[in-house]
Amino acid sequence: MKRLLRLLGVLAVLLWSGFPILFIVLSSLKPARDIFVYPPVWIFEPTFQHYVELWRQWPVFFGYLQNSLIIAIFATLLAVGASTLAGFVYSRYRGRLLTASAFFLIVVRLLPPIVITLPLFPTVDWLGLSDTHLLLVVLYATFFVSLNTVIMKAFIDGIPGELDDAAKVDGATELQTLFRVILPLAAQGMVAAAVFVFVFSWNEFLFAFIFTTSNAKTAPLIISELMGSLTGVEWGMLFAAVSLQLVPIAIFLLLLQRFLIAGLTAGSLKG
Amino acid sequence: MRRPGPLQWLMVLPVQSLVIAVIALPSLWVLWLSLNEATYGQANVFVGLKNYATLLGDRYFWRAFVNTFIVVNVIVYVELALALALATLFAAGIPWRPVVLAIVLMPFAVSEVVAVIIWRFLMDPEVGAFTRPLTDLGLPYFDWAIEPAHGLALVCLISVWLHLPFTFLIVYAARLTVPDELYEAARIDGATGWQTFRRITFPMLIPAMLVALVFRYIFAFRLFSEVWLLTQGGPARLTEVLAVYLYKQSFTYNQFGLASAAGWVMVVLSGMIAVFYMRLIYRNMFATEPAR
Repeated sequence: MKRLLRLLGVLAVLLWSGFPILFIVLSSLKPARDIFVYPPVWIFEPTFQHYVELWRQWPVFFGYLQNSLIIAIFATLLAVGASTLAGFVYSRYRGRLLTASAFFLIVVRLLPPIVITLPLFPTVDWLGLSDTHLLLVVLYATFFVSLNTVIMKAFIDGIPGELDDAAKVDGATELQTLFRVILPLAAQGMVAAAVFVFVFSWNEFLFAFIFTTSNAKTAPLIISELMGSLTGVEWGMLFAAVSLQLVPIAIFLLLLQRFLIAGLTAGSLKG
Repeated sequence: MRRPGPLQWLMVLPVQSLVIAVIALPSLWVLWLSLNEATYGQANVFVGLKNYATLLGDRYFWRAFVNTFIVVNVIVYVELALALALATLFAAGIPWRPVVLAIVLMPFAVSEVVAVIIWRFLMDPEVGAFTRPLTDLGLPYFDWAIEPAHGLALVCLISVWLHLPFTFLIVYAARLTVPDELYEAARIDGATGWQTFRRITFPMLIPAMLVALVFRYIFAFRLFSEVWLLTQGGPARLTEVLAVYLYKQSFTYNQFGLASAAGWVMVVLSGMIAVFYMRLIYRNMFATEPAR
């Protein structure tokens, strides 16, 4: 009886988390007449017709998918690089001003991002940065340096300080110690920190919506436009675009799942 | 512990300058803007607290305020309840645990845009794979595009779906640290499953649940994309939340001063939420100290 209840629980969980994603990806492979029907068609002739149509009618989609990739990669590098340096200092040094600056880093993260779009909009225009990859890279990285610094600090805290001292005795400078001794041991933390920024940057909508118009547009934005311009029959094409945006990041997360868990527990419970 | 020197400050500088330049200074600027009459192409005129007065007299603002209040609370507490149930289920031992865990975490990878598309399709009143069975069971026709309450319900559903992995992981990580001996003792004393949950699992997880609550309150409060992509705040501005209200006042109606005032109201409200729950967390930590 208890076993049965548990099994039902598991089925409900799978229906809730897994089914919606699976259903969309499957629908992108259905012939157009089988997509928008009830009850759903389960046995169908798989077709790549919608992907071909997407390629023909919305070739820009693939360019914007590439934009997303470039922006996510550079935002990740910037956020993880900056946070590793800061995380090291916050882990190994103490001081009143330093503590205050760490507190500031956390508190500032509480501000709702939409609030800063108001002054940034004209400023960015004036700096000639609107609709550039660089702008999105900086914005995305900024919103994750706080969490990443906490994650890196937590991971570096776990590396014994004696190693630093030993390196110092051997004549290593501080930066040599960081790069040769600490970083190889904190690599796990860097991956954990990277997972968060990368997934966020790949998926972000609000900033891309406000600050890009053509050149630096990202995949989520073009998908939203595709959704807005739909006339019933093109759902297959929309699902094809959705699958192309979703499947790579889902596989990425699947492979790096344990880092997600490690990062979240380090970030929320220790921080 | 060593004291930081110039090199250490230099190492902290990239992180701090990003946060100062992109978040801190612009927010102060928003505070200044909120005291001005500001539209595109015209010089700002200082008007004191007039924007705040206008804001408090705007019924669309109050509608957005009430919507945000309801939606955020529904999202946060439904999510917490589900996370708790899920953590208990996982802890009870389930078949193919690693696979199920991977599937549970999957929505974390889904963007808001994609989630909106997925759920619009599944909850379509005519052909939705989820709505049709419910309608057949006698539930009312799910008209999210026309009926504001249904629209907001769909927003809650999507938001809970997207963020459950986060809340679940925090609660589940805490659940794994509860010592088995406690459950062993409860079993020997003949406690029922419900009693065990009520007397052991729930109290032991309170600190983690509070942490999850703070995070989720602050993040749910920013809710924008789900609403914007689903209803754009319509029909008749009835489903707006604060972030959507702010966006519309500034980018649609060009009232940057009023929008800035709304922005600062959001800042203050999220600050209040944070302080309230942080205090709860601290009080809770001190309250449980002697019991150990």
